[in-house]
Amino acid sequence: MTTTAMNNPTQPRQHAKVYLHPLPVRLWHWLNALGFVLLIVTGVQIRYVDLFGLMSFEAAVRLHNWTGFAVIANWFLWFIYYLFSERVTNYHPDLDPVSFFQRYFRQAGYYSWGYFQGEERPHKVQPQDKFNPMQKLTYQFVMFISAPVTFLTGLMMWDVERFGGLISMVGGIRVVNTVHVLMFILFVMFITTHVYMGFLGKKPSSHYKEMITGYEEPH
Amino acid sequence: MKTRNVLGSLLVAIALLAMAPGAAMAGTGDVDPDAKCLKCHSKNMKKKLEDGETLSLHVDADPFSTSVHRVIGCTGCHRDVTKGKHPSREPISSHRDYTLERNDTCRQCHAAKYTAYKGSVHASLVAEGNDKAPVCSDCHSAHAIQAQAVYEPVSGEPCSACHEAIYDAYAQSVHGLARTNGNVIREAHIKAPICADCHRAHDITAVASNSYLKNTCLDCHDGAAVAHEKWLPNASMHLSSVACAACHSPMADRRVDLQLYDNLKQVPVVQQDGEGEYQARLDEIDATGDGLDSVELWKLVRQGSRQGQATDVTLRGRMEVSTGVEAHRLAPRSEAVRSCDSCHQGGANGFQNVTVSITTPDGRKQRFNADKKVLSSVVSVDSVGDFYAPGGTRIRLLDGLLLLALVGGLAIPVGHIALGKYLRRKNNRNS
Repeated sequence: MTTTAMNNPTQPRQHAKVYLHPLPVRLWHWLNALGFVLLIVTGVQIRYVDLFGLMSFEAAVRLHNWTGFAVIANWFLWFIYYLFSERVTNYHPDLDPVSFFQRYFRQAGYYSWGYFQGEERPHKVQPQDKFNPMQKLTYQFVMFISAPVTFLTGLMMWDVERFGGLISMVGGIRVVNTVHVLMFILFVMFITTHVYMGFLGKKPSSHYKEMITGYEEPH
Repeated sequence: MKTRNVLGSLLVAIALLAMAPGAAMAGTGDVDPDAKCLKCHSKNMKKKLEDGETLSLHVDADPFSTSVHRVIGCTGCHRDVTKGKHPSREPISSHRDYTLERNDTCRQCHAAKYTAYKGSVHASLVAEGNDKAPVCSDCHSAHAIQAQAVYEPVSGEPCSACHEAIYDAYAQSVHGLARTNGNVIREAHIKAPICADCHRAHDITAVASNSYLKNTCLDCHDGAAVAHEKWLPNASMHLSSVACAACHSPMADRRVDLQLYDNLKQVPVVQQDGEGEYQARLDEIDATGDGLDSVELWKLVRQGSRQGQATDVTLRGRMEVSTGVEAHRLAPRSEAVRSCDSCHQGGANGFQNVTVSITTPDGRKQRFNADKKVLSSVVSVDSVGDFYAPGGTRIRLLDGLLLLALVGGLAIPVGHIALGKYLRRKNNRNS
């Protein structure tokens, strides 16, 4: 416990469990995780039939398409939940960029130094402010840019005739595919990092437990 | 319609009979004028031509006597021959020139057919000076002209006289075999097509015309589009960017043809100044002459946009078989390529050969070789923006980026764990 926390009586008690992840968010998260894994596996199979033989190209395309629609529907579940929830503040942009990036780099410094020294986390987790600046920027990008762009480009490739006008407008099917693959590459990086960061709680299992029970684990 | 044609032909024949000198003579009890002609021309007569060659003036009496033109007699076509006037002394420059000159004679009676022929790729080749391109008599013969029914033989005549290899491929195809086996297809009596059914008889279109042949297939196989939609994702797109023969001639070598296309006008770019126009441009762009690489191809497309001939030039890709012979080796439906992997994988047969084509005014394609890497280069995002086969034409740079992302994604945890270990060891040492 830091000196600041001990001297500040308004600071919440460290051991009081905070309900961080409501059920709809947890449902969305794990369905999304399953969907992403399926999309990555089938995406790799579609792109590299000559290298992997997990399933036929035809089966991979069908599974990829169905999973894609499920993930899009799931995104709307997330979006509608947050749209009508007071927890939407978690995704609100920070209007003071200087302060935001100061806290961003403080968080980065914590992961590369303070974490190993057993220091207190610089960001105090609250139900309506649960993301540290690094998480916030990443999740804003993933949920509002990467995911919709991936969905849109995926839809265009799913039915090139139906979306022919849109495909021409953005520069052709190859542009659409390239953007889709670039997003896929970003997701591959995001997921590997995301899974690893999940182990950086008080205990390696802390964050994973939180995402199952919904309650913050003791720190 | 058919009755009208027959009636029309009869009227023409009666009119010609009335006009023909033979008709008048027949009324006066004179001998058959054709017999007068054949008296000399059934012999082995020859005429020396100006180019040094010899023109045979021999007419085989038997086929002529059974030909459909027997009714109009020799002078029905040879109108310049009248009693007392014979053009034997007029010089003829060459056999080809004489044939071309006489070709116009057919138009006098067969105006509609002649007009259709004039719009054909055959007539276009004739106009270009191709001395092998056929005129009327090359298909119908000069004197042994037979009824239309005779031009539906399984022998492939007259087309096979020039397109022998293609005819041989057709003869062994599902269409050719059905025709020789009494038109039995899938245990039903269905008339299988001969050459003219797909290519037409007189207004023969350039086979390279992308939509023409597909539509011809669908004219008979009218359920094919719906059948493909049942199992093939993006079926309509496949039908427009993959030639029917690319799958239905399963043993064929395939290639990708990138046709210069005007996106704004939605038509192929047509070269206006003869075939030399793009050849000159390519000679300049591809100075080494080893086929267009991805940057050279990009330059060609950009140049096409700049020179004012079209404002939004792109390359429209199409998977097709590599030769006309292969296009005719159509197999039964059960043998057609159905596996997506045939094309949708790196190194697939169809992506090993790439041509770039520019359309000529008569609808043919002038093709230029391109490096197969044009399909997998990052530059293709701009130049070949409208053609992409997942897996088969993937951009290699993206493969590298994915590998980098995987390495980077693993490097972050590994680096972080290593940093932790280093700091802990350092702390232990200090304490």
